[in-house]
Amino acid sequence: MGAAAVAVAAVAAVAVLALWLSGGGGFDVAWLPSWNARLAFRLDGLGALYGLLATGIGVATFTYATAYLPRHLEHEERPQADGRRFHALMVLFMVAMLGLSTAQDLLLLFVFWDLTAVASYLLIGFDRQHREARLSALMALLVTGVSAVVLLIGFLVLRAEFGTTSIPALLERADGGSAVTLAGALIAVGALAKSAQAPLHFWLPRAMAAPTPVSAYLHSAAMVAAGVFLLSRLHPLLATSPVLLDGLLVVGLVSMAVGGLLALGEDHLKRLLAYSTIAQYGYVVTMLGVGGAAGAAAACFYVLAHALAKSALFMTSGAVTEATGARTLSETGGLGRAMPALAAGSGLAAAGLAALPLTIGFFKDELFFKAAAGRGPWLAVLAVASAALTFAYITRFWTGIFLGPRRRPARPLPARLVLPVVVLGGLVLAGGVLVGPFAALSEDAAEVTAAGPVAVAPAYHLDLRAENLMALAAYAAGLVLVLGRPALAGVLGWWRRLGGRAGPERAYVAGLAGLNRLSNAIHDIEVRDLRARVVAVLVPAGVLVGVGVAVTPFEGAYVAGSLSGSDLPLVVALATCMLAALIVTRLRRHVALAIALSGVGFTLAVAYALLGAPDVTLVAVLIETLLTLLFVAVFALLPRRILLREAALRPYGSRRIRDPIVGVISGVLVLLVVWAALSRPTPGGASADRQVDLAARAHGKDVVTVILADFRGLDTLVEVTVVLVALLGVAAVLRRGKLW
Amino acid sequence: MTTTVLTRAVARLLLAPVLMVAAAVLVKGYADVGDGFAAGVIAALGVLLQYLAFGRAAVEQALPVRRAAQLAVGGLLLALAVAFPPVLGGGAPLQHAPAPGDEVVKLGSLELIGAVAFDVGVFALVLGMVVATIGLIAGTREEEAGRP
Repeated sequence: MGAAAVAVAAVAAVAVLALWLSGGGGFDVAWLPSWNARLAFRLDGLGALYGLLATGIGVATFTYATAYLPRHLEHEERPQADGRRFHALMVLFMVAMLGLSTAQDLLLLFVFWDLTAVASYLLIGFDRQHREARLSALMALLVTGVSAVVLLIGFLVLRAEFGTTSIPALLERADGGSAVTLAGALIAVGALAKSAQAPLHFWLPRAMAAPTPVSAYLHSAAMVAAGVFLLSRLHPLLATSPVLLDGLLVVGLVSMAVGGLLALGEDHLKRLLAYSTIAQYGYVVTMLGVGGAAGAAAACFYVLAHALAKSALFMTSGAVTEATGARTLSETGGLGRAMPALAAGSGLAAAGLAALPLTIGFFKDELFFKAAAGRGPWLAVLAVASAALTFAYITRFWTGIFLGPRRRPARPLPARLVLPVVVLGGLVLAGGVLVGPFAALSEDAAEVTAAGPVAVAPAYHLDLRAENLMALAAYAAGLVLVLGRPALAGVLGWWRRLGGRAGPERAYVAGLAGLNRLSNAIHDIEVRDLRARVVAVLVPAGVLVGVGVAVTPFEGAYVAGSLSGSDLPLVVALATCMLAALIVTRLRRHVALAIALSGVGFTLAVAYALLGAPDVTLVAVLIETLLTLLFVAVFALLPRRILLREAALRPYGSRRIRDPIVGVISGVLVLLVVWAALSRPTPGGASADRQVDLAARAHGKDVVTVILADFRGLDTLVEVTVVLVALLGVAAVLRRGKLW
Repeated sequence: MTTTVLTRAVARLLLAPVLMVAAAVLVKGYADVGDGFAAGVIAALGVLLQYLAFGRAAVEQALPVRRAAQLAVGGLLLALAVAFPPVLGGGAPLQHAPAPGDEVVKLGSLELIGAVAFDVGVFALVLGMVVATIGLIAGTREEEAGRP
């Protein structure tokens, strides 16, 4: 299964690469004609970039997982068969990412968006025997899922404004109007939450409860990349509003600072990398906020370079934990001699993230500095500061693991846990020497993002241009941070505690707890006894209906018709019905109550008959008979003395007042609604005539049956399905769900 | 529960006519008052009468009431089988079959069209649902009585 997953990813990677090299392509077939939504897929430059990341990093992480997972399952004392589920979910995730990156329709894109969230939920919570893993999975699902609803609203605003969900058509028509700005803001919220940007970043460090291959894949190149992918895909639309771009800039900068500082202070290996991811995607969001050709180029190249390096580093942390059992920096050290290949591979990846020359990372920062400096000196300063932070925490990560005194003995590792790291590290190095193919890929992607020609031409320049000076400044400042970190420990600890005390995670936890309490409170009121359940339905419904009645103009809404002598039988039937209903309220014995209730029903059936509705009458009579017999049968099953004792009980406490009030109010409101409805001329007269005409052509003589079984057959189908579900409910209550 | 000889005799005599009426309402429903739902309730009433007169054990011996839930599921499957095949051909669910104007197979005065099959599904579902519910309710009593 694991090998099959690797093969699928490899084939997909080759296919995406081949399709991209041959100039892209796609297909477009009808999907939801009434919504004008189409199954439109197209592999353009941006799709190729993210598609290659999803499949290429997929090959590396799936390979890693084939060696990691059997050991992991053994540790957790779970059957090896569970691994199958894991690999299947990883492939599902990859497919969702491929669909996401090539979808050309917003609704289609949203389907894949949610598919990634579901797959991520199951993957983060893979170790379901741990409470921590379950809670983390739920947090990731809630943060990205609830924000996905915001995103969907944004899509629907666009659809309402422009009448289409096709992305190319929307990008063409988008103007700077307020609807576009609103939709853009809503979409940005969803995208930023997915990319773990502040203040919705807190789910990502928690998600480190996932097995390492999940983090190496989802939290470096796939799940979190989906957010910036969407921003890149819709960038021409966002770019129509300067406010939105400035907002992205601010969010990106804040995330850079929050993530970078937390990473510098973090001890846990994977969590350090998670904070780093927050900061790194902060760079990308900042670049998208800068916009233009330079910003788009920097953003696309950055995603590519970061994914290669970060995935390798995640796998490194997993391999180190596997070999030594250590999960934190303070437990590791001096492993360089014991595992030189891993040290070399992850050293290259770390150098890439720290933007040292001869790695692809140098160019990512070159483009980043260029775009930042183009925006203004203040952004240039901030860019250097956060590059220094990156340099510092990643140096600390690598040296903390591989240099210094050896703290724990290391077991030898299987090749498949090391090889992917070495290969990705090699790619990081290759990109630093031969940047051409990487630049070409991100250039193609950036042209989609910027909606215009972009030149991505990273190169080494041995002169004192701004980018080089900024890089040197970043290295210097980073070194100072590394060396001076002990002095900073107090500040970093304070920053961390501040985040714990006043951070957004607290709001999330409090919000969830509050919702839980509210739900429990309503539940407690509702399920106290059967009457409380009825009240729980009647009171909210009564309030809604009451509001409806209050805001409807009274003028002409309640018309009283005239009464003639031929209406006498009807009046008698209705009066009997009323009398029976009044008697019901006075009776105490159960069988008498059931019979009085059936009296109400039968007199109503008589009224239907007098009004000339034989079908309704038939059903009413049958149902009343059935109900009465069932009541009597159930009472016959109950012990007689319990029935007598119940009947003798006086209504107690608040019920004596509450029940009549609730009954009278709901009765009056129903009266008003029915009266108002009957006071209006039926608007459906024409369509009713048409249905009577059509019934004959549908070979039916009884128009009611023809409507039920033919014209509105789908409604009937849904209703009878509900009937079966009700039967399941009865079986669940009475026989623990066993139907036969 | 004790019932008189008269009740039992009437219940036994009524079962066949009740089922007959149900069948008539079902097949005539498309042309006259009544439909699959009403027919299902009528038939279920006949079975319920047996339960009231003879008790659960006797009814379970005499009638295949233990299959009621299966009947309900089968009814739903039949309704679904009528409803959705047209979708595969690009049509609407529950599309009128045969198409308006086409020749209709007749059985006496009964016209065999898709909607009639659908109604039979509804009939089976309703009958199965009510009988199964009655069986479940009647079953609880004996389960409780059997408890230590």
